[in-house]
Amino acid sequence: MAETAVTTPTVTSVARPRLSARAWVGTLLRLLVAVGIAIVFLLPVLWMLSISFKPPTEWLEYPPTLIPKEPLIGNYTFLFNPGNPEGAIAVMTGAAEPVMPAFINSLIIAPVATVFSVIIGFLAAYAVSRFRVGGNFMPFFTLTTRMFPPVAFAVPLLVYYSAVIPSVIPGLRLYDTRLGLILMYIAFTVAFALWMTKGFIDGVPRHIEEAAILDGASRWRVLFTITLPLVRGGLAATTLFIFILTWTEFLFALIFTQRYAITVPVQVSHYAGAIGRFYGPQAALGILASLPVVIAGYLIQRHLVTGFTFGLIRE
Amino acid sequence: MANIALSSPGQRLSRWINQEHVFKLILVAPLQVLMWAILIVPTLLVIYLSLVRWEPILGDWTQAPFNWFGNYVKVLTDPRFWEVLGRTLVIVFFAVSLEFLLGFALALFFSQDRLPGKRLFTSIILYPMMLPWVVVGFTFYLLFLDRGPVNYVLIQLLGPGAAQPWFKEPPLAIGTIILADVWQWTPFMFLILYSGLGALPREPVEAAMTLGATRWQIFRLITLPMLKPVIIIALVIRALECFKIFDLVYIMTGGGPGTSTESLSLFIYRTGFVYGQLSLAAAMAVLLLISIAVVTRFAIRPLEYREEV
Amino acid sequence: MADPLPIIQLRNLRKEFNGTVAVAGLDLDVLEGEFLCFLGPSGCGKTTTLRMIAGLETPTAGEIYLRGQRITDLPPQQRGLGFVFQNYALFWHMTVFDNLAFGLKVRGLPPAEIEARVKEIARGLELEAVLGQRAARLDLSAMQRVAMGRTLITQPQVLLLDEPLNNFRPGLREIMRAELKRLQLNLGRTMIYVTHDQEEALTMGDRVLVMNAGRVEQLGTPREITEHPASLFVASFIGRPPMNFIPADYRIEGGRALLRHGSLTWDVTLWRQAIEAQMRNGQVIVGVGPADILPLALASHGEGEPLRTQVDLVQPLARQKILELKVDDLLLKVVVPGTFQVQAGEMLDVVMPSRALHLFDPLTEKAILLY
Repeated sequence: MAETAVTTPTVTSVARPRLSARAWVGTLLRLLVAVGIAIVFLLPVLWMLSISFKPPTEWLEYPPTLIPKEPLIGNYTFLFNPGNPEGAIAVMTGAAEPVMPAFINSLIIAPVATVFSVIIGFLAAYAVSRFRVGGNFMPFFTLTTRMFPPVAFAVPLLVYYSAVIPSVIPGLRLYDTRLGLILMYIAFTVAFALWMTKGFIDGVPRHIEEAAILDGASRWRVLFTITLPLVRGGLAATTLFIFILTWTEFLFALIFTQRYAITVPVQVSHYAGAIGRFYGPQAALGILASLPVVIAGYLIQRHLVTGFTFGLIRE
Repeated sequence: MANIALSSPGQRLSRWINQEHVFKLILVAPLQVLMWAILIVPTLLVIYLSLVRWEPILGDWTQAPFNWFGNYVKVLTDPRFWEVLGRTLVIVFFAVSLEFLLGFALALFFSQDRLPGKRLFTSIILYPMMLPWVVVGFTFYLLFLDRGPVNYVLIQLLGPGAAQPWFKEPPLAIGTIILADVWQWTPFMFLILYSGLGALPREPVEAAMTLGATRWQIFRLITLPMLKPVIIIALVIRALECFKIFDLVYIMTGGGPGTSTESLSLFIYRTGFVYGQLSLAAAMAVLLLISIAVVTRFAIRPLEYREEV
Repeated sequence: MADPLPIIQLRNLRKEFNGTVAVAGLDLDVLEGEFLCFLGPSGCGKTTTLRMIAGLETPTAGEIYLRGQRITDLPPQQRGLGFVFQNYALFWHMTVFDNLAFGLKVRGLPPAEIEARVKEIARGLELEAVLGQRAARLDLSAMQRVAMGRTLITQPQVLLLDEPLNNFRPGLREIMRAELKRLQLNLGRTMIYVTHDQEEALTMGDRVLVMNAGRVEQLGTPREITEHPASLFVASFIGRPPMNFIPADYRIEGGRALLRHGSLTWDVTLWRQAIEAQMRNGQVIVGVGPADILPLALASHGEGEPLRTQVDLVQPLARQKILELKVDDLLLKVVVPGTFQVQAGEMLDVVMPSRALHLFDPLTEKAILLY
C-alpha cells in the first residue's frame, strides 16, 4: 500500500499497551469509595456483633470500642438459659425468657408457610400464565395484599380468629397457634409467590409443553415433569425470598401470638423492651435472629441482581 | 388421539381430571379458597366493624349496635389522627427521597466498568434488606444511645456539644427512624435501579456519543427517560411499603417520646389492640384501604400509556 | 486530477478482548470520498475495527489518524464521525423529529435553525410524514432512513456504517443498496461500510478490504479482488458459487512444467519460474472459477485438453444453470448459460484454460503471483 505524503508525526510500529498510569489511579480511587460504602453498610451490624460478645462491664463503656476487650459467649448462652446466668452476666429483672421456644416456632412456621405459599402460588401462576385465568386483573388483585397495611387486615382478622372461626368450626383455635400464623403468612405472601413464579413460567416456551401434549402426556404430567424442572432456579429464588418475608414478619406475630406461638421477631421485641439493660444478650439475640435470613439472602442474591426490571425496559 | 371407551373408574377419573377446565380449577382452587377465607371475608368484616360500635369487652360482636358513620366522623375529627397521618407522610417523603437519591448514586457508581470486586460489594450492600426489621430497629437504637457510637463520633468531629439526646426530642427521634429505614432500604432502590441501568440497551448511548453528546447530556436525555418506568415502579413500591412502617417505630421509640413519633400503623394498632377500640381502628383501616387504592391507581397511570408501545 | 488524500489512517491497529485477538496489527489508508467496504465473515474483526475508528472501542495498541491528526485517544464525541448501527439504535422514546435533531441539539444550535435543517433532511429522506411519530413505531425502512438522517444532519467527515441493510429482506436490500450508493455519490462523503455479504461489497464499494480472523486478506478494487484474489480465503469467499479448489502436484516432464491431479493436467510452463520461486513443497492448489470451466461446445479452439466428466446435478436458475460435474474424486461446480442443454447423468467434455487458473500455495494459503 502506497503511503502518500501526509504530515503525521513519526509513525510508530511498536505495540503500546493502552492502560496508562492515570487509569490505575482512577481504579484505585473507585475501589476506595467502594470499600467506604461497604463499611457504611457493615458497621451497624458489626457494632451489634461486637456488643454481643462483650461482658456487661463493656456494654456502656465510653469511649465505645469495636473490639471487645474480654470477649465471651456468655450473652449467647444466656439466651437459652437465663435462669442460670453464666459467669459475669447478671440478670437485671425478669423479662428474660429462654429463646428456644421462639426459635422452634419460627423454624416451623417460616418454612412451612413458605413451602405452601410457593406451591399454591406456583400452581395458580401456571393457570394464569397458560390459561389467563382471571384475566390481566388477577395478579394485580392479589398484589393488593401487599399494598395495604397489614394492620388494616389485622383488625378484622383478630375478630375472625377469635370469634368467627371457632363458631363456624367448633374447637378450631387459631389465635396464638402456629397454624393460625402459618395460614396468615401463606395468605399474605402468596401474591408474591404468584407474581414471581409467573414471570419464570412465562419464560418457558409454550411449544415445548404443546409438543408433549401432542405426544399424549397429560397436563399434570407436563406441569410436573417438563415445566417444573425448567423453572427450578426461579422457584428456589422465590422460596428464599418468601422465607425472608415470613421469618422477619412482626406485626401479625405480635398481634396473634401470646405465649405459645411467639416467633423470633416477637422475642426480640420482648428483649428489646425489657426493663433494665442487658444489651449483651439483646444484641446476641439480634444476631441469631438474623442468621437464617442472611444465609438465605446470600443464596438468592445471585438471582436478585439479574432480573428486577419487571419487563419494562425495551430492548 | 383415539378416544377409546374406558371403563375403569380410575381411568375415568384421570381423564376427567385432565380436562382443561378441571385442570385450571384445581390449580387455582387453593389460591381462591385462601383469598376468600383470609382476605375477602375479613375485608367485609372490617367494613362491618367500622359501621358498628363495638369493643371486645362489650361481648358478642354480632349483636353490636350500628353506628353507621359515627366512627368515621370520630376518626376524621380527631386531631391526633391527622397528626399521625401527616407525620407518617413526612417520614415516607424523606426516607424514600433519600433512598432514591442514594440508591441511584450507588447504582450509577457500580455501573461503571473497571471496578474490581463488583460482585462482592454488591452482595454486601444487599444484605440489610434481608434483616428482620426489629433487628434493624434495635441495632440503630444501640447506635444512637446517649453514650453510643454515633454521639461519640459526633463529639470527636464537632466537639463536646455535638452529642444529641436522640430519643428525647421528637424531631431527632423521627430522624433516627428515617435513618434506620434509609440504611435498610437504600439497597432496594439500588437493586432496582442497578438492574434497570444494566438492562438499558447500549447502542442508543453509543449513538448519542457519536453524535457529540457529553456524558451529562446522555444521562439527561437518554438514560433517565428510558429509566422512567423503572423509577416510577421503584418509588411507588417503596413508598407504599414505607407508609406501613411499624416495626422500626415500635422497637426504636415505641412511638415516643410520648406519642410524638407514632406512625399510622402503630396508631391503628394501639387504638385497636391496646386500647381495644376495634371499631375505630376498623374505620381507620377502611379509610386507609380506600385511599391507598386511589393513590396507587393514579401513580400507575404514567405507566399504562407505555404498554401500547 | 490529483490523487485523493487519505482521510483516515490506521497504523498497526490491534484489539484484544480478554486474551482473544479480535484485530491483529491492521494498517490502512482510507481515501477521501471513497466508498470503502470492510468484508468478511462474522467474527473477523471488521465491526471491531469500525468501532475503533469511531471511538466506541479503545485499541489495545496502534494509532488512528484523521486528516493527519492523531485521534486514538479522542472520545467519540469529539471525532466528528457519523455511525449507523446495525439495529439503528434509535432513541425510541423520542419522536422522529427529536431523533434527527439530537446531534444539533447537543451542540446548542438555536431551535429555529434546528427546525429548518431537520425539515430539510426529512424532505430529502422522505420522512416528513412521520416527523411527529414515536421512533419506536416506524417500519424498518423508515427506521433506517432516520438512522441515516440523524447522522448526516451533523455533516460528519466520514460516515461509518455497520451492516445497516442486514434487517432487510433480499428484494428490498438491493433497492436500498442502490439508494445508499447514490446518496454517497451525491454527497461526496467518505463512507466505510461493513458487511458480510460479498455481493454487496463488490457492487457498492470503490475498494474492498477483505478481513479474516483479525487480519487483512486483501485490499483492492472489486475487480482486483474478483480477478486476482490474493489468498485462498479471498478466493473461497468471493463469488457465487465459490471457486473450485483442486490440490495438484507440480511435475517437470519432458521439459514442460505440469500440474497434475489424477486425470487432470495443466501445462504451466509459461509461469515455471514464478511458480518454482513461490511454491513451498511441490504442491499447489489450483483454483478454477465456475465460469472458467467451459463445456467443449462453448470453448474457443485450443483452450486446453478436454476433460471427460459426468454430470451429477443440474440446478436451473433464471439465466444460468449450475452444474456439478464428477471427475476422479472431485465434484466441480460449473456455471453455464441457461440455454445450454444438459441432463444429469450425461457425460460432458469440458476444458479449463490455463490462463484462467488461480494458483495458491497450500502452506501459506497465499496466491502465487504469475506476473
